[in-house]
Amino acid sequence: MESDDMRDFATEARRFLDAHVAKAPDRTAVTWGEGDDSMAYFSSLPPEEEREFVQRAREWQRIRHENGFGWITGPVEYGGRGLTPVHDLLYDAIESEYDVADTGVLSVIGLGMIGPTILAHAQPHIRDRWLPAMYRGDAIACQLFSEPGAGSDLASVATRAVREDGGPSRSSEAESGGDWVLNGQKVWTSVAQHSQIGLALTRTNPDAPKHRGITAFLVPMDAPGVEVRPLRQMTGGADFNEVFLTDVRIPDDHRLGEVDGGWTVALTTLMNERATVGSEGVGPVGAALSPDHLSALMRATWTWDDRALRARLAELLVDVLATEHLNARALRKLRGGVAPGPEMSVSKLMYGQNLTRAAHFVSDVLGPRIIADTGQWGTYAWTELLLATPALRILGGTEEIMKNILAERVLGLPKEPVTAAAKEVRS
Amino acid sequence: MTADESELRELRASVREFLEAKSPEEAVRKLMESEPRFDPAVWSQAADQLRLPGLAIPEEYGGDGFGLVELGVVLEEMGRALFCAPFFATVLLAAQALLASGDRDACARFLPGIASGRTTATLAVAEDHGSWDPAMVSARAVPDGDGGWTVRGRKCFVIDGTTADLILVVARTVAGPTLFVVERDATGLAAEPMETLDATRAMARLTFDAVPATLVGAEGAGGRIMAKVLDIASVGLAAEQAGGARRCLETSADYARVRHQFGRPIGSFQAVKHKCADMLVQVELAEASSREAARLADEGSPDFPVAAAVAHACCSRAYMTAAMENIQVHGGIGFTWEHPAHLYFRRAKSSQLLFGGPAVYHERLLDRLGI
Ligand SMILES: Cc1cc2nc3c(=O)[nH]c(=O)nc-3n(C[C@H](O)[C@H](O)[C@H](O)COP(=O)(O)OP(=O)(O)OC[C@H]3O[C@@H](n4cnc5c(N)ncnc54)[C@H](O)[C@@H]3O)c2cc1C
Ligand SMILES: Cc1cc2nc3c(=O)[nH]c(=O)nc-3n(C[C@H](O)[C@H](O)[C@H](O)COP(=O)(O)OP(=O)(O)OC[C@H]3O[C@@H](n4cnc5c(N)ncnc54)[C@H](O)[C@@H]3O)c2cc1C
Repeated sequence: MESDDMRDFATEARRFLDAHVAKAPDRTAVTWGEGDDSMAYFSSLPPEEEREFVQRAREWQRIRHENGFGWITGPVEYGGRGLTPVHDLLYDAIESEYDVADTGVLSVIGLGMIGPTILAHAQPHIRDRWLPAMYRGDAIACQLFSEPGAGSDLASVATRAVREDGGPSRSSEAESGGDWVLNGQKVWTSVAQHSQIGLALTRTNPDAPKHRGITAFLVPMDAPGVEVRPLRQMTGGADFNEVFLTDVRIPDDHRLGEVDGGWTVALTTLMNERATVGSEGVGPVGAALSPDHLSALMRATWTWDDRALRARLAELLVDVLATEHLNARALRKLRGGVAPGPEMSVSKLMYGQNLTRAAHFVSDVLGPRIIADTGQWGTYAWTELLLATPALRILGGTEEIMKNILAERVLGLPKEPVTAAAKEVRS
Repeated sequence: MTADESELRELRASVREFLEAKSPEEAVRKLMESEPRFDPAVWSQAADQLRLPGLAIPEEYGGDGFGLVELGVVLEEMGRALFCAPFFATVLLAAQALLASGDRDACARFLPGIASGRTTATLAVAEDHGSWDPAMVSARAVPDGDGGWTVRGRKCFVIDGTTADLILVVARTVAGPTLFVVERDATGLAAEPMETLDATRAMARLTFDAVPATLVGAEGAGGRIMAKVLDIASVGLAAEQAGGARRCLETSADYARVRHQFGRPIGSFQAVKHKCADMLVQVELAEASSREAARLADEGSPDFPVAAAVAHACCSRAYMTAAMENIQVHGGIGFTWEHPAHLYFRRAKSSQLLFGGPAVYHERLLDRLGI
């Protein structure tokens, strides 16, 4: 069903990759005891190695970009290829066969979510300034949305932005005005420690209903008053941060969208978030869910004939493989030019659940070997995944919020009655 | 032949329209209590107007030569409507067994009648223990010395066993499990209906007392044939299950939007809302796994056997969950005889266990994966 255009694109992608990188070893065909047994979902590297890791990501992004694969869906005037999301997915699928640097640190949030938001809502010279830099690998972007008091209920953000000079005398609809001063706290901000810019949601009108008093700004992370403090997460590593904003001065041209129109901007970001989460599946995480890997583990631990474990393995694999089928069908729909329905949300939910169940299944197979490190290959390493899985039911919209969305948007079930308090901004 | 997306949509629409007219709930309830357990007039119309029995039978045997993808669309609709008809046994079991046997003479003799809807058929494998594993078969067949065979033994859980015109039966010879065909009016054949949990699917116990039979395919090939038939039939069953599960979900969501308690639609309570979202997740996975397995079958992909096992397990669980939660969302009314929820519950449970249930299909999946 693929067109000539797709075939040509795939050939070109392979030619590029063949010229620059080696084929990846097949991580699903396991030889027990050989190779890297890391099961890290979040990086947990010492600072020096972390810097090198980020450097390798930037470097590979630069090479991709120079060869026309850095921003496949981007407009040509910003250095993109002007192709479709399907080309993008196809490239990802092909690249996953190769041994390339992990670019998650810059691609998942920055290129996947913030880039499209800047493109849709920023002023032309801001797009010129940041988009090429981001897609060349020079600039990393983070998402300054969540706050201590605004998680699932994102529209209740309380970080204040106040327009400085002449604020009151100008119409709030003015195209460009005086600087803004930001004060507040963001939290759970992934990759802030590596970022040059962040997209912040702020409260500009505390008197309006909460969705209508928010404004979005692009914050240079080196601006005076921006302080990034690492937050250690339960895995032991520190991938996310607290970001304190104290009298941070932002020019009005760094505003995205209208004054008080930031919720529309946020929706662009969130829509792109749903499109990225759940599309993973390669690397250590792919291995965790591969039937070959799990059966190798059962053989190595002499549990392959345990009836109770076999039944649980089968149940787990039914979900893993059915989710793969769901993804494959959504992808095929996309290729045929049909927008997928609820598949992406279902896939995100299942992704978190499948990995969680896999981690607990493997723990039960390993028994004592996951409580204390015996030094045996491929055993205690699973603690890395086990400890990461709780995040997968929270980030990018918690399980409960995803279910509300499915039930309300897909099945048309009524929303909960909104209390007056829920419409207000909490102080 | 393969239909494209818009042809599949058309096929679905015409089957749905037909079933809404010919198999509304009242009709299903009436047939559940009649013998035969289907309406011969409606069956003829399904064959003559929609050409359903021959849809996936090769053109050389009088069918339209489509595949499991198209058949899946029809079965989803039949599952949704709880259509009482000899379709599953005739088309998914018997016709597939004939095709899998590779016996061109038998195919040429029987498939055109099946394709036209004139002949109904079934496949008798399981015995008192209920297992579809041909290795467990104890019915025996011996040569009658005249080029034919004689079958002796008992079969149980035979779908449409009291009405099918043709009975394909697996019996043991010195070469191992072997497929035979027996005609309805053969001497020595007795059929007795079984009371069933799901009254929309008739089952019977058959006794073969020196019944004359014809060999189908090679002697001893029963194991190989059954492996193939079970893969295809379980994907067909999966489609029925996905259709039934989708229907339960829709019924629940419809009810949750309109039923008020505590001054609100019950669908606005998160306990109910999340139940419906969980059902939706199950239904989406069920449809994806059964449709994907059908596609892989039609492409002759080596991944088909694994996909068939996944579809069978996934759809069995999805349907059971959806049927159960559908009753829960309905509260007391869902527990009544008058409400259709229990018909789906019965069908879901009986389909889940038809080919052995979780213990069997989980091991089958692991086996297919080489684990
Ligand atoms: C690893 C990780 C990385 C992250 N990275 C970023 C980032 O880069 N940028 C960023 O802005 N944010 C980030 N987040 C934050 C993430 O988006 C929030 O954690 C998430 O939206 C939940 O918000 P919360 O933590 O405040 O929990 P809360 O919203 O307080 O939720 C607590 C519990 O209550 C439930 N709940 C809340 N509201 C409802 C409701 N209406 N119905 C039912 N249940 C409800 C939730 O489901 C949850 O179980 C990250 C989080 C994690 C774990
Ligand atoms: C076998 C049987 C025997 C019975 N015998 C008697 C009897 O002798 N005498 C008698 O008076 N009654 C009897 N009942 C009725 C029984 O008490 C009610 O069926 C039950 O209270 C539920 O009410 P409902 O059927 O109207 O369902 P609904 O109240 O309409 O509930 C439908 C669904 O919505 C859910 N729901 C409703 N409100 C909420 C909420 N606030 N939060 C979350 N979920 C909610 C329910 O849990 C259920 O899943 C009997 C019922 C059965 C099944």
